[in-house]
Amino acid sequence: MRASFQYLGRGSWLARRDPRTKLLVALFFVIGVVQLRDARHLAIALALALGYYATAGIPFRRVRLQWLYLSVTIVLIAGLNTIITGGRAGGFIEADLHVLFTLPVLGSPITAEAISLSVSQTLRFLAIVAVSLPIAYAVAPGDFAVALRRLGIPDRGAFLVDLTIRFLPTLVNEFAETIDAQRVRGYDPLARRGGVITRIRRLAPIFVPVTIGAIADAEDTIDAMDLRAFGIGRRTWHRELRYHSTDWLLMAGGAAFLVAAGVLAITGSSPHYLLPFLIGE
Amino acid sequence: MNMTATGQAGGMWSVGTRTIVYGAVGAALYAAAGYYSFFAQVPGTEGVYLRPAYGILTFFGFAFGPVVGFATGFIGNALADTLTGSGPIASWWWSVANGLAGLLAGVLAFRWLGSGNASLRAVVSVTATVAATAIGFLFIWIELVIQPELGSDVILWGEYVPAVVSNSLFGAILTPILVLAWEPLSARMGR
Repeated sequence: MRASFQYLGRGSWLARRDPRTKLLVALFFVIGVVQLRDARHLAIALALALGYYATAGIPFRRVRLQWLYLSVTIVLIAGLNTIITGGRAGGFIEADLHVLFTLPVLGSPITAEAISLSVSQTLRFLAIVAVSLPIAYAVAPGDFAVALRRLGIPDRGAFLVDLTIRFLPTLVNEFAETIDAQRVRGYDPLARRGGVITRIRRLAPIFVPVTIGAIADAEDTIDAMDLRAFGIGRRTWHRELRYHSTDWLLMAGGAAFLVAAGVLAITGSSPHYLLPFLIGE
Repeated sequence: MNMTATGQAGGMWSVGTRTIVYGAVGAALYAAAGYYSFFAQVPGTEGVYLRPAYGILTFFGFAFGPVVGFATGFIGNALADTLTGSGPIASWWWSVANGLAGLLAGVLAFRWLGSGNASLRAVVSVTATVAATAIGFLFIWIELVIQPELGSDVILWGEYVPAVVSNSLFGAILTPILVLAWEPLSARMGR
């Protein structure tokens, strides 16, 4: 895994769409999916999200470890939630909880309601990740700033994002070189021995030179921008963006999902769903 | 001469070239350092990760003001999430919480710092870091709406407390080191 933006979806169907479309669809989807509670509705949302993700053409072998790591993390989080809440969240009534078994050592009751809640939580998080990853991998890094500007973010904010993306690979290299330089001197800042405080203090000889060096180097960028009268007048952007009919269709789909989720939430039609097979129904 | 947020020309909310560039440097550093100093998940928590790079976030807020602090936390955390797995918006509320912590570090530096020696400023930076973290991360309670499956006990003991304790620890150790390293250079540069 390299610590920089990788345009893995280059040339895919989704990558050819306007970058604003990808940002807005993800926004609509995330706002919509957090309103859903019913695991069946969330399963449909996940299916839609995975279909959307597939159009980004992100090679699975390049993100395999990422998905594995995310899946393990999500399952662990949901599992922990099952133990801690025991189903006493999400609107289930404590008196009606169905205890399936009790954990041997901890003595925590595992209920059908807790497992149902964890399933909902897992489905929702995976769906959000599936629409979020194409922003990282199917938007050309150089398009972020102009897309944000065209979406109404002020020039300065959009330029800040642009600069951040430009600085990232350089600073990652700075960190790598500094770590290597310290190791050549016989000092391993990432050594896994010692307590937490010792390990944090051991990072100072990396963080201090890289941070102070980056700030000092930033002066050149500031001077260059000031010399070009940055911020004095309205900024123009070389890259032009244009919506096509497919973009409008995608955004309409995202908006329709948002409206449908909103209606389900407002009418109370998407409450938490107790998975029937857990209680033998 | 004061070298921190209080010394910023145009007041702490001004957004000039310097704010934009320092915000971008801070965000990129926070993301890059987060990638290299990504320890592990705190055992027994709801996905709270040890990120010693947190000291960089509070330092940028403290040294360059609330706008730079917010940009460092918000954009930096979104980028760090992208580099370490889940994409920029999957946990957007954590990015906002990080941004608020950076913003508050800048506001507190502005409010609390007067003239004083370097040791005093280092102590203030520790206090501001802990206070900004404790207040800024209150934002994650929005999860009661976003993820109703989590009860308030889970958010308190599984997320908020571990995040505040670990980040305060990292910030309290690294922020004063960075403040003390930056101030002499800042004085030489006339900033």
